Amino acid sequence: MATNKPQVEVRRRFAAPPEKVFAAFADARLITRWLSPSPKIALTPLRFEFREGGTYRFAYGLEDGKTVIVNGTYILIDPPSKIVFSWIIEPPDEHAGIESEVTVAIKPDDGGTELLIQHKKLILTDAIVRHAAGWHGALDQLAAALETEKQHDR
Amino acid sequence: MIAAQTKLIYSQLAMQRAANLNRTFRALADGTRRSMIHALAQGEAQSASDLGRRFRSAQPTISKHLKVLEQAGLVKRTITGRVHRFRLHQKPLQEAGGWIARHQAFWTGAVGQLDQLLAKGVDDGDK
Repeated sequence: MATNKPQVEVRRRFAAPPEKVFAAFADARLITRWLSPSPKIALTPLRFEFREGGTYRFAYGLEDGKTVIVNGTYILIDPPSKIVFSWIIEPPDEHAGIESEVTVAIKPDDGGTELLIQHKKLILTDAIVRHAAGWHGALDQLAAALETEKQHDR
Repeated sequence: MIAAQTKLIYSQLAMQRAANLNRTFRALADGTRRSMIHALAQGEAQSASDLGRRFRSAQPTISKHLKVLEQAGLVKRTITGRVHRFRLHQKPLQEAGGWIARHQAFWTGAVGQLDQLLAKGVDDGDK
Protein backbone atom coordinates (compact mmCIF):
# COMPACT_ATOMS: atom_id res chain seq x y z
CA MET A 1 0.00 0.00 0.00
CA ALA A 2 1.04 3.61 -0.15
CA THR A 3 4.30 4.14 1.59
CA ASN A 4 5.59 7.50 2.64
CA LYS A 5 9.27 6.85 2.45
CA PRO A 6 11.87 9.40 1.47
CA GLN A 7 12.42 9.78 -2.21
CA VAL A 8 15.14 12.31 -2.36
CA GLU A 9 17.84 12.04 0.24
CA VAL A 10 21.00 14.04 0.73
CA ARG A 11 23.38 13.45 3.64
CA ARG A 12 26.42 15.54 4.46
CA ARG A 13 28.87 15.98 7.30
CA PHE A 14 30.07 19.43 8.32
CA ALA A 15 32.84 20.51 10.68
CA ALA A 16 30.54 23.27 11.96
CA PRO A 17 28.43 22.60 15.08
CA PRO A 18 24.66 21.86 14.81
CA GLU A 19 23.71 25.37 15.94
CA LYS A 20 25.50 26.90 12.94
CA VAL A 21 23.89 24.46 10.52
CA PHE A 22 20.47 25.14 12.02
CA ALA A 23 21.05 28.90 11.77
CA ALA A 24 21.70 28.53 8.04
CA PHE A 25 18.05 27.40 7.67
CA ALA A 26 16.61 29.89 10.15
CA ASP A 27 18.09 33.19 9.04
CA ALA A 28 16.72 34.97 5.96
CA ARG A 29 20.07 36.57 5.19
CA LEU A 30 21.86 33.24 5.35
CA ILE A 31 19.45 31.16 3.27
CA THR A 32 19.86 33.50 0.29
CA ARG A 33 23.53 32.52 0.29
CA TRP A 34 23.06 28.78 -0.16
CA LEU A 35 19.47 27.49 -0.53
CA SER A 36 19.53 27.09 -4.31
CA PRO A 37 20.92 24.36 -6.54
CA SER A 38 23.81 26.47 -7.82
CA PRO A 39 25.44 29.88 -7.28
CA LYS A 40 24.04 30.84 -10.70
CA ILE A 41 20.46 30.51 -9.44
CA ALA A 42 19.66 33.41 -7.14
CA LEU A 43 17.19 33.01 -4.29
CA THR A 44 15.02 35.98 -3.35
CA PRO A 45 12.80 35.29 -0.33
CA LEU A 46 9.42 36.93 -1.01
CA ARG A 47 8.18 35.80 2.40
CA PHE A 48 10.06 34.10 5.22
CA GLU A 49 8.31 33.39 8.51
CA PHE A 50 10.57 30.92 10.27
CA ARG A 51 8.23 29.66 12.98
CA GLU A 52 5.89 26.68 13.24
CA GLY A 53 2.84 27.46 11.12
CA GLY A 54 4.72 30.28 9.37
CA THR A 55 4.96 30.28 5.59
CA TYR A 56 7.67 31.02 3.08
CA ARG A 57 7.74 31.94 -0.57
CA PHE A 58 11.02 31.76 -2.47
CA ALA A 59 11.67 33.14 -5.95
CA TYR A 60 14.47 31.46 -7.89
CA GLY A 61 15.93 33.45 -10.78
CA LEU A 62 17.13 31.02 -13.42
CA GLU A 63 19.94 31.73 -15.86
CA ASP A 64 17.55 32.05 -18.80
CA GLY A 65 15.68 34.87 -17.06
CA LYS A 66 12.74 32.73 -15.95
CA THR A 67 11.61 32.60 -12.35
CA VAL A 68 10.47 29.54 -10.40
CA ILE A 69 8.50 30.20 -7.24
CA VAL A 70 8.28 27.70 -4.39
CA ASN A 71 6.09 28.11 -1.31
CA GLY A 72 5.34 26.14 1.81
CA THR A 73 4.63 26.08 5.52
CA TYR A 74 6.97 25.34 8.41
CA ILE A 75 5.30 22.33 9.99
CA LEU A 76 7.80 21.59 12.74
CA ILE A 77 10.78 23.51 14.07
CA ASP A 78 12.85 21.93 16.82
CA PRO A 79 16.12 23.85 17.25
CA PRO A 80 18.80 22.83 16.57
CA SER A 81 17.87 19.33 15.46
CA LYS A 82 14.84 19.20 13.20
CA ILE A 83 12.90 21.25 10.64
CA VAL A 84 9.95 20.02 8.58
CA PHE A 85 8.31 22.10 5.87
CA SER A 86 6.00 21.59 2.94
CA TRP A 87 7.27 22.35 -0.55
CA ILE A 88 5.06 23.28 -3.48
CA ILE A 89 6.20 24.75 -6.78
CA GLU A 90 3.85 27.37 -8.20
CA PRO A 91 2.47 27.43 -11.78
CA PRO A 92 3.42 27.67 -14.60
CA ASP A 93 6.20 25.24 -13.70
CA GLU A 94 5.88 21.71 -15.10
CA HIS A 95 5.99 20.29 -11.56
CA ALA A 96 3.63 22.87 -10.08
CA GLY A 97 1.09 21.83 -7.49
CA ILE A 98 2.75 18.60 -6.38
CA GLU A 99 2.65 18.54 -2.61
CA SER A 100 5.81 17.34 -1.00
CA GLU A 101 7.52 17.65 2.32
CA VAL A 102 11.10 18.29 3.33
CA THR A 103 12.56 16.98 6.58
CA VAL A 104 15.86 18.37 7.78
CA ALA A 105 17.61 16.38 10.51
CA ILE A 106 20.65 17.94 12.18
CA LYS A 107 22.70 15.68 14.45
CA PRO A 108 25.90 16.28 16.41
CA ASP A 109 28.63 14.12 14.93
CA ASP A 110 32.04 13.90 16.54
CA GLY A 111 32.46 17.62 17.10
CA GLY A 112 30.73 18.48 13.85
CA THR A 113 27.31 17.91 12.36
CA GLU A 114 25.59 15.32 10.25
CA LEU A 115 22.88 16.82 8.08
CA LEU A 116 20.20 14.67 6.47
CA ILE A 117 17.67 16.19 4.07
CA GLN A 118 14.77 14.01 2.97
CA HIS A 119 12.23 15.20 0.44
CA LYS A 120 9.17 12.99 0.98
CA LYS A 121 5.57 12.36 0.02
CA LEU A 122 6.32 10.43 -3.11
CA ILE A 123 6.32 6.74 -3.67
CA LEU A 124 9.16 6.01 -6.05
CA THR A 125 12.77 5.56 -5.17
CA ASP A 126 15.57 6.93 -7.25
CA ALA A 127 16.26 3.42 -8.52
CA ILE A 128 13.50 4.08 -10.99
CA VAL A 129 15.09 7.32 -12.13
CA ARG A 130 18.40 5.71 -12.86
CA HIS A 131 16.71 3.01 -14.85
CA ALA A 132 13.78 4.91 -16.31
CA ALA A 133 15.25 4.81 -19.79
CA GLY A 134 16.52 1.30 -19.86
CA TRP A 135 14.42 -0.53 -17.47
CA HIS A 136 15.17 -4.23 -17.42
CA GLY A 137 15.80 -5.52 -13.95
CA ALA A 138 15.20 -2.08 -12.47
CA LEU A 139 11.90 -3.00 -10.95
CA ASP A 140 13.36 -6.09 -9.33
CA GLN A 141 15.90 -3.89 -7.64
CA LEU A 142 13.26 -1.35 -6.80
CA ALA A 143 11.01 -3.95 -5.24
CA ALA A 144 13.94 -5.43 -3.32
CA ALA A 145 14.94 -1.97 -2.11
CA LEU A 146 11.41 -1.21 -0.99
CA GLU A 147 11.21 -4.50 0.85
CA THR A 148 14.49 -3.83 2.64
CA GLU A 149 13.43 -0.32 3.53
CA LYS A 150 10.11 -1.57 4.78
CA GLN A 151 11.91 -3.81 7.25
CA HIS A 152 14.15 -0.92 8.32
CA ASP A 153 11.23 1.42 8.60
CA ARG A 154 9.84 -0.78 11.39
CA MET B 1 -6.17 40.11 -21.02
CA ILE B 2 -4.05 37.68 -22.96
CA ALA B 3 -1.49 37.49 -20.16
CA ALA B 4 -4.16 36.47 -17.65
CA GLN B 5 -5.52 33.85 -20.04
CA THR B 6 -2.07 32.48 -20.69
CA LYS B 7 -1.44 32.28 -16.96
CA LEU B 8 -4.71 30.44 -16.43
CA ILE B 9 -3.93 27.94 -19.16
CA TYR B 10 -0.47 27.42 -17.69
CA SER B 11 -1.83 26.77 -14.23
CA GLN B 12 -4.44 24.37 -15.60
CA LEU B 13 -1.71 22.52 -17.47
CA ALA B 14 0.42 22.43 -14.35
CA MET B 15 -2.45 21.08 -12.26
CA GLN B 16 -3.11 18.42 -14.84
CA ARG B 17 0.51 17.39 -14.86
CA ALA B 18 0.55 17.24 -11.07
CA ALA B 19 -2.56 15.07 -11.09
CA ASN B 20 -0.97 12.75 -13.67
CA LEU B 21 2.18 12.46 -11.62
CA ASN B 22 0.24 11.68 -8.45
CA ARG B 23 -1.65 8.97 -10.31
CA THR B 24 1.64 7.46 -11.48
CA PHE B 25 3.08 7.44 -7.97
CA ARG B 26 -0.08 5.90 -6.54
CA ALA B 27 -0.11 3.20 -9.20
CA LEU B 28 3.49 2.31 -8.39
CA ALA B 29 2.91 2.17 -4.64
CA ASP B 30 1.75 -1.42 -4.91
CA GLY B 31 4.17 -4.35 -5.12
CA THR B 32 1.99 -6.50 -7.37
CA ARG B 33 1.57 -3.65 -9.82
CA ARG B 34 5.31 -3.04 -9.90
CA SER B 35 5.86 -6.74 -10.61
CA MET B 36 3.27 -6.58 -13.37
CA ILE B 37 5.10 -3.65 -14.93
CA HIS B 38 8.27 -5.64 -14.73
CA ALA B 39 6.62 -8.59 -16.48
CA LEU B 40 5.33 -6.29 -19.20
CA ALA B 41 8.77 -4.71 -19.51
CA GLN B 42 10.13 -8.09 -20.64
CA GLY B 43 8.78 -7.24 -24.04
CA GLU B 44 5.74 -8.45 -25.86
CA ALA B 45 2.24 -7.39 -25.03
CA GLN B 46 0.63 -9.88 -22.67
CA SER B 47 -2.97 -10.76 -22.12
CA ALA B 48 -4.80 -10.37 -18.83
CA SER B 49 -5.01 -14.16 -18.46
CA ASP B 50 -1.22 -14.54 -19.05
CA LEU B 51 -0.68 -12.10 -16.25
CA GLY B 52 -3.21 -13.86 -14.01
CA ARG B 53 -1.41 -17.17 -14.45
CA ARG B 54 1.94 -15.60 -13.83
CA PHE B 55 0.88 -13.94 -10.59
CA ARG B 56 -1.46 -16.75 -9.46
CA SER B 57 -4.13 -14.17 -8.80
CA ALA B 58 -7.84 -14.19 -9.46
CA GLN B 59 -8.77 -12.52 -12.73
CA PRO B 60 -10.80 -9.72 -11.09
CA THR B 61 -7.75 -8.79 -8.97
CA ILE B 62 -5.53 -8.69 -12.04
CA SER B 63 -8.12 -6.67 -13.93
CA LYS B 64 -8.32 -4.17 -11.09
CA HIS B 65 -4.53 -3.71 -11.01
CA LEU B 66 -4.42 -3.36 -14.79
CA LYS B 67 -7.10 -0.71 -14.64
CA VAL B 68 -5.12 1.33 -12.11
CA LEU B 69 -2.02 1.04 -14.30
CA GLU B 70 -4.03 1.98 -17.36
CA GLN B 71 -5.54 5.03 -15.68
CA ALA B 72 -2.06 6.14 -14.67
CA GLY B 73 -1.07 5.81 -18.32
CA LEU B 74 1.53 3.17 -17.46
CA VAL B 75 0.05 0.51 -19.71
CA LYS B 76 -1.80 0.64 -23.01
CA ARG B 77 -4.58 -1.82 -23.77
CA THR B 78 -5.41 -3.27 -27.16
CA ILE B 79 -8.48 -5.40 -27.66
CA THR B 80 -8.65 -8.18 -30.25
CA GLY B 81 -11.93 -10.02 -30.09
CA ARG B 82 -12.20 -11.12 -26.46
CA VAL B 83 -8.49 -10.88 -25.73
CA HIS B 84 -7.19 -7.80 -23.95
CA ARG B 85 -3.47 -7.28 -24.40
CA PHE B 86 -1.33 -4.88 -22.39
CA ARG B 87 1.82 -3.06 -23.29
CA LEU B 88 4.09 -0.86 -21.16
CA HIS B 89 3.99 2.88 -21.75
CA GLN B 90 7.10 4.60 -20.44
CA LYS B 91 6.36 8.31 -20.61
CA PRO B 92 4.67 8.66 -17.19
CA LEU B 93 7.61 6.91 -15.56
CA GLN B 94 10.01 9.32 -17.17
CA GLU B 95 7.93 12.26 -15.92
CA ALA B 96 7.93 10.87 -12.38
CA GLY B 97 11.68 10.40 -12.66
CA GLY B 98 12.02 14.04 -13.73
CA TRP B 99 10.52 15.37 -10.50
CA ILE B 100 12.84 13.26 -8.39
CA ALA B 101 15.96 13.96 -10.43
CA ARG B 102 15.25 17.69 -10.26
CA HIS B 103 14.89 17.73 -6.48
CA GLN B 104 17.84 15.44 -5.93
CA ALA B 105 19.90 17.92 -7.97
CA PHE B 106 18.41 20.85 -6.04
CA TRP B 107 19.34 19.52 -2.60
CA THR B 108 22.71 18.16 -3.66
CA GLY B 109 23.58 21.58 -5.07
CA ALA B 110 22.18 23.45 -2.08
CA VAL B 111 24.02 21.32 0.47
CA GLY B 112 27.22 21.84 -1.51
CA GLN B 113 26.70 25.59 -1.29
CA LEU B 114 25.92 25.29 2.43
CA ASP B 115 29.18 23.43 2.90
CA GLN B 116 31.10 26.31 1.34
CA LEU B 117 29.20 28.87 3.37
CA LEU B 118 29.92 27.03 6.63
CA ALA B 119 33.56 26.53 5.67
CA LYS B 120 33.92 30.27 5.15
CA GLY B 121 32.24 30.83 8.49
CA VAL B 122 28.65 32.01 8.49
CA ASP B 123 29.58 35.19 10.37
CA ASP B 124 31.88 36.42 7.62
CA GLY B 125 30.66 38.89 5.08
CA ASP B 126 27.14 39.01 6.42
CA LYS B 127 26.99 42.75 6.27
